[in-house]
Amino acid sequence: MNEILLSILVFSPLLAVVVLAFTPSNQEQSLKWIGLFGTLLPLVLAIITFCQFDIGSSAIQLNEKINWISFTIAHTDSNVTMPIQYELGVNGLSLVLILLTSVVAVLAAIGSFTIKGQWKSYFIFFLLMEVGMLGVFASQNLFLFFIFFEMTLIPMFFLIGRWGYENKEKAAYSFLIYNGLGSAILLIVFVVLFMKTGTLNYGELANIFANGGSGLLDSVPGETFRLSILIALLLAFGVKLPIVPLHTWMLRVHVEAPPPVVMIHSGILLKIGAYGLITFGMGFFPAEFKRIAFSIAILGVVNLLYGAFIAIVQTDVKKVLAYSSVSHMGIVLIGLAALNDAGVQGAIFQVVSHGLISALLFFLVGVLYERTGTSYLKAYSGFVKTMPLASGVLVAAGLASLGLPGMSGFISELMSFLGLFQTKPIVAAVGTLGIILTAVYMLRAVMAITYGPLSAERGKLVDLNVREMVPAYVLLALIIAIGVYPDMLGMTIKSTLDSILSGFGG
Amino acid sequence: MMQYAWLIPLMPLLSFILLLLLGKKLKEASAYVGIWLTAVPLVMSFIVFFGQWGGESYKAEGTWLTIGHAVITFGIEINPLNSLMLVIVSLVSFLVHLYSKGYMNGDERVPVFFAYLGLFTFAMLGLVMSPNLLQLYMFWELVGLGSFLLIGYYYFKPEARQAAKKAFIMTRIGDVGLFIGMILLFWQVGSFEFDDIFKAVASHEMTHAMITLTAILIFVGAIGKSGQLPLHTWLPDAMEGPTPVSALIHAATMVAAGVYLVATMYPLFAASTAALTTVAVVGGVTAIFAASIGLMQKDIKRVLAYSTVSQLGYMMLALGSGGYVAGVFHLTTHAFFKALLFLAAGSVIHAVHTQDIEKMGGLYRKLKRTGPLFLIGALAISGFPLLSGFFSKDQILAATYEDGRFGLFWLAIIAAFFTAFYMFRLFFMVFTGEFRGAAKEVHESPGVMTFPMIVLGILAVLAGYVNTSWFGTFLSDYLGKGEVAPLASNHEPIWISVVATLVSLLGIFMAYLIYKKGSLSRDWLSRHLPSLSSVVYNKYYIDEVYHAVIVRGVRAFSYGWSLIDRYIVEGIVNGAVALVHWLAKLGSKCQNGQVQTYGAVAFVGLVLLLLIFAVSGGYFS
Amino acid sequence: MSSLPLPVFLVLALILFCIGLFGALTKRNAVIVLISIELMLNAVNINLVAFSKYGPNPGITGQIFSLFTITVAAAEAAVGLAILFALYRNRRTVNVNEMDQLKR
Repeated sequence: MNEILLSILVFSPLLAVVVLAFTPSNQEQSLKWIGLFGTLLPLVLAIITFCQFDIGSSAIQLNEKINWISFTIAHTDSNVTMPIQYELGVNGLSLVLILLTSVVAVLAAIGSFTIKGQWKSYFIFFLLMEVGMLGVFASQNLFLFFIFFEMTLIPMFFLIGRWGYENKEKAAYSFLIYNGLGSAILLIVFVVLFMKTGTLNYGELANIFANGGSGLLDSVPGETFRLSILIALLLAFGVKLPIVPLHTWMLRVHVEAPPPVVMIHSGILLKIGAYGLITFGMGFFPAEFKRIAFSIAILGVVNLLYGAFIAIVQTDVKKVLAYSSVSHMGIVLIGLAALNDAGVQGAIFQVVSHGLISALLFFLVGVLYERTGTSYLKAYSGFVKTMPLASGVLVAAGLASLGLPGMSGFISELMSFLGLFQTKPIVAAVGTLGIILTAVYMLRAVMAITYGPLSAERGKLVDLNVREMVPAYVLLALIIAIGVYPDMLGMTIKSTLDSILSGFGG
Repeated sequence: MMQYAWLIPLMPLLSFILLLLLGKKLKEASAYVGIWLTAVPLVMSFIVFFGQWGGESYKAEGTWLTIGHAVITFGIEINPLNSLMLVIVSLVSFLVHLYSKGYMNGDERVPVFFAYLGLFTFAMLGLVMSPNLLQLYMFWELVGLGSFLLIGYYYFKPEARQAAKKAFIMTRIGDVGLFIGMILLFWQVGSFEFDDIFKAVASHEMTHAMITLTAILIFVGAIGKSGQLPLHTWLPDAMEGPTPVSALIHAATMVAAGVYLVATMYPLFAASTAALTTVAVVGGVTAIFAASIGLMQKDIKRVLAYSTVSQLGYMMLALGSGGYVAGVFHLTTHAFFKALLFLAAGSVIHAVHTQDIEKMGGLYRKLKRTGPLFLIGALAISGFPLLSGFFSKDQILAATYEDGRFGLFWLAIIAAFFTAFYMFRLFFMVFTGEFRGAAKEVHESPGVMTFPMIVLGILAVLAGYVNTSWFGTFLSDYLGKGEVAPLASNHEPIWISVVATLVSLLGIFMAYLIYKKGSLSRDWLSRHLPSLSSVVYNKYYIDEVYHAVIVRGVRAFSYGWSLIDRYIVEGIVNGAVALVHWLAKLGSKCQNGQVQTYGAVAFVGLVLLLLIFAVSGGYFS
Repeated sequence: MSSLPLPVFLVLALILFCIGLFGALTKRNAVIVLISIELMLNAVNINLVAFSKYGPNPGITGQIFSLFTITVAAAEAAVGLAILFALYRNRRTVNVNEMDQLKR
């Protein structure tokens, strides 16, 4: 079972896709429930995977390897066979992200019950996207990674473009163009790496760049080559993360896409950028990463402050949250740029924590939008009165997002800054301004919705129903669990973290 | 017993969780849940306190988070200072829970109120039991959360919303200072543990500049929390919350956390003269500044709020002048008499349904218990001889004098005069003369409200005797035992006592002349110095300045950036799109439908490729 | 019979190809364009046969391949003329300049 566990996990959503394909498209309830069960299966499998995983070891575990494509090219003196393999495997980091994906997918599927019309195709796209996301984190081969990466783009394009709000088409195209550009750069990088080294396996690549030798080239590729590859990677994943001047597509997506899709998008798809930077950027090119770490730190602080300042004056709650995502991804960069235990661990924590928090916030925005038909802050006031549960969870999520201790956001903020203060104290000190600004914009938005007088025409709002409580409480519980006992997450990623950091010389 | 001390903060947390889950069903009964779950910690705190008195210190920790090789722990510590704080916090908290049972009677969100109180009490107890700086910081933020939620309890009032937001953000500005200070200390020492930090300070592992820097950054946190200048403006606004909350959070416990922080970190501060001077100057200036504002306010709670700010300034002054014991001593006595004053004010508000002292008067006869209790509180805070405030204030003045900063000493004396004056202005205006309000029937509060006040009244009288030069310096001996801090010696010149007493009496007498007898006109100042009086009345326009400079500034900056984001960053993107569009148009012009043109282009392309191949010799060669 | 050297055939093929290319790219009449394409194909055939006889690896492959080409050329001519007829029926013209439906 263990030999193919990961494959089963990655492709398990396809089972529901097949069932959906044979379900008549007018049977609303059964389509929705099949979609939901389709996401539960990977969750169960992900938990099984977690149980099979040996936390103490830093090696890639649950490996699967099948020869897939191989071709021979003429090289200087002899012919060289260059294989592309179907390789899956997990380490602590990717396992955590797989768990996050499967959890958020289930909750987003629950949130998708409010989708209007065309449920059949919606859930098919939704599940295909889940295959892509699981595959991205489980693959151990750049080629496979790329295929799964693309597999997340196309369903996402349709999910935004067909089920979104007013300007959905524009948002979908902007998503596709930016991410298409990003993945084009990624493809070039991967092809160049393949031609230079003859392998696409993560471990082998890292080994070649660390020790030289075993690749196609007898010597290690030069400094400039590595640096330019790293910068290309930064650019490609910077679109995804997003890093500041490349962020505008994300705002449109966050505003226009349906809330469950934004949960997935903000909760997981953005994290692929961070995952890529950590696994490829830091994993393959530690020395070069160190060289540009200062610029990354500056980029991180710029992200943090830029997002925060603009979020202060937004009038649409979705935009506030969108800019807050920009701002929070700055913390990931800050943590990575620190290049020490605390910082990188903080960045990974932030990836997970922001995934949970933003999923929760967007879920609640969806709940509010469904009831009021608007997302403008001015249209809201005093919802504590009629929707105490929703308001309570919203305030809690807002507080988590601004980094209140006892919730996951604080841990990641603390560790990222802790890390950066050791290596680049001045940059970090400027960055702490973001902590204040986050409180300002988050409280402004959350309190505008929940506090204040209740206007008369909003008298009939109903509070969270049972179906809505599940995602809200589960996410909140996870956020608090990580915040109260962070070592739970810390232990899982520790050995992976150590192996990444060993590249930096301890 | 000590090994069960960790249960103390968990009880109120349990109350918080229970009330959140079951509040709807319990309704009014939820008050009892809150009261019982604070009564138990109160008893336990006393046991811990006396256990500690017997010389038993305790520390227990467990791994919380691992960062590389550094293990960050979570645990509890009982030492003299924090067991004293435990008693103060759990006692005031219990009394306020009890009082709230009466005060909040009839409010439909009683369960929520008690849930929040439980959360706050949990955080505050956790704060004082923290064995390391990180844990302290976490609870520090959580008490801020409790305060935020309770200030915004009347969520439908826009002022309450503003006040809650303001409190959270302004204290967070201070917290960032603490945050940075904490992180810098971690990299200097390699640990968040207090013991390790003090060891590093003592063994000169840290440079002097670093000690000063971290101490001042940590003090910034205390400035925010304790409402010191220049981050004081949130505290008076926080009076939007229900009055019991003001008594618990914004008088007795949370705002004193800043003083507690400085006291806990005292070895760090003591190692740097510059840091101590900063503490003393900020404290001294705040003391007189806030007291002067208190002279002119018309809202009973705001007068008390400014008085709190001013008294906290006193404590800081004491700590900054080396009067560790004096500061902690004043913290203790202040907790009792200020909580008493707030609860009494709450009782008054409960009776007349207004906070405007112009609409009160003559209440001494109608409120038979509240009146005398308020008088006791007012006398205590004014430093009337033999009441608790007298002893603690005396020691602060002595410490300041011994420290040799005479400017600050005289500031403190003047502040003492102001304090006596505004407290008795309040007393005479509220309790004597004719009733000027609209309320028809004025009732004394029920026993559940007066009982806590009586307990606090007794403490306000007696708490001072734990540390006097006449009966014994129990507190000094007790605090000194933990060898946490260098202590100021206790032989003060007798004339300081005399001067302080005279000044207080003068203040009371002046208030009597103006507000009771009417021998001096009340608006003398506003008639003779209109500009000065309006500046003071409007709190030196600090709120306005902050609003104009910082709030507007940030907003304008943000707005500017969002314009840049919308037009320039997006503009570049749109420009790129337009460029591609233009290129595509250009390309489609070439597509004329003529097969022969296409063929020609293809042919030319082939020729070019071949030429390049011929010249360069090919890719693989 | 003395054998002619390879370049002679190649030059012949080249000339033929160029004529064909010129015709295909410049002539207005679609029939002539088709004929020009035939010329080019035949130029290729000459090359194939010449290489199969005089190339570095002489063999029969080239000749077989040229047979294929002839077949394909015949098919192409048939299909091309059929399209041309259909076009002529609809548009009453064989002028290549007027055949720009690709653009629409």
